[in-house]
Amino acid sequence: MSRNDYQQQLERLREDVLEMSDVVCLRLRKALEALETKDEALAEDVITGDHEINELYLELEGDCIDLLALQQPVAGDLRFIAASFKIITDLERIADLATNLGKYTRWADRDRYPDIDIRHIGTETVDMLEAAMAAYASDDVDAAYDVAAKDERIDDLCERASEVVVRDLLETEAVIAPDDALLDDVERMLLTIRDLERVGDHAVNIAARTLYMVENDDELIF
Amino acid sequence: MATNGKADTSSEEETETIISTAIETGESRDRGPTESPRTVVTARDLDVYYGQERALDGVDIEIPENRVTAIIGPSGCGKSTFLRCINRMNDGIDACRVDGELRFHGTDVYDQGIDPVALRRKIGMVFQKPNPFPKSIYDNVAYGLRVQGRAGEVDLDAAVERALRSAALWDEVKDQLDSSGLDLSGGQQQRLCIARAIAPDPEVILMDEPASALDPIATAKVEDLIDDLAEEYTVVIVTHNMQQAARISDRTAVFLTGGELVEFDDTAKVFENPDHDRVEDYITGKFG
Repeated sequence: MSRNDYQQQLERLREDVLEMSDVVCLRLRKALEALETKDEALAEDVITGDHEINELYLELEGDCIDLLALQQPVAGDLRFIAASFKIITDLERIADLATNLGKYTRWADRDRYPDIDIRHIGTETVDMLEAAMAAYASDDVDAAYDVAAKDERIDDLCERASEVVVRDLLETEAVIAPDDALLDDVERMLLTIRDLERVGDHAVNIAARTLYMVENDDELIF
Repeated sequence: MATNGKADTSSEEETETIISTAIETGESRDRGPTESPRTVVTARDLDVYYGQERALDGVDIEIPENRVTAIIGPSGCGKSTFLRCINRMNDGIDACRVDGELRFHGTDVYDQGIDPVALRRKIGMVFQKPNPFPKSIYDNVAYGLRVQGRAGEVDLDAAVERALRSAALWDEVKDQLDSSGLDLSGGQQQRLCIARAIAPDPEVILMDEPASALDPIATAKVEDLIDDLAEEYTVVIVTHNMQQAARISDRTAVFLTGGELVEFDDTAKVFENPDHDRVEDYITGKFG
């Protein structure tokens, strides 16, 4: 392979990772829509489509391994491939979380908690993920830091939403006389909140890997 | 600073005394793993010319003791020239002129009081192509000690065995020490040359692409050997193979066109996050 081909492969890897992230963000938005509208068909679409993300992940993982093995990259190229390798793992896990959200659509009654705006938390989280991928796309260090800072807001929103669920549980005295439907709702709502919070954490991981990729700086990792 | 090595008039004994004193007055060689190694070879604003052509341009470097220092760079960047300056192998080239400072344990290598032959006893060299003498394996290794008139001072058999063991060759040749060194495989010949270089017990071993003529298995053995040698010796290796430099060295010096030392740092730093764009371009293959 010529050096030109190698450079083109690097650029293609970046484009493929961005394409994967587009698909993942779309799935996430669909899952949120399904949750909001109780659209089980849409939720099913998200769930059954997860294997496509898994296949894409394996394909890109293979591309990264080939580049490492055959080109033995160093310096900026090495950091780019290493960061991409980690980012596709985050994206694959976000897709799994979108699948979880799709499953909750079938099992939970969203109307029990009118004060919790899952759509708002979800939209903020997807926006954050898209901002992280934009930082990766354009080697934008400032944007990567912005993503990390935004995660605190997502964490706050999720914490407050969890409090609403727990308070409601206590106030309805369901602890004493729980019924299955209520427990399902409580469990699914808490899992929904937790999964969205995790999407935010993965977005921070992507921002952290971007910072490492551009500046060899591991400040945001962990 | 001498223009080349031909003007020296001193004896080997004088040189030996000068260098030994310099070594002994240095810091202790015993050091903990976290302690910074002391410097063995220092270059300050070192220029080398071949006639009107400048081969090295203001090189500043400190080579650490008991470490492997790799020198990489494109063809014609002066990396071999620098290596050969360290033990004055360029002395034989009439047109070669050296300016600036090059010190071994603080002693000016190009001082008129330095005998290059004695210097090379402390700073040995291994070349790109294995070049054993057409002699027995034993005589190849004993050659340096005999030439230096030390055959009577040391237990020659023990010295040969020690050198062959250090070169990871003893087990393969101990039953054929009288066989010709030329009968060995390429990889064994190169390790024989390394044994020959370390038999006089040098402090520094210079290696000019020592594995470039070897197959991958022989290369792996030489690379393992280099790693082992660094426990006892200071190794400076010129290589075109950047992956080899990354694998085996502690510090890497990158020379670029014009004989300029552009970057010298821990090997991991150079290959993961070099400071200079020109170095990044070179090591990622975007150079030129």
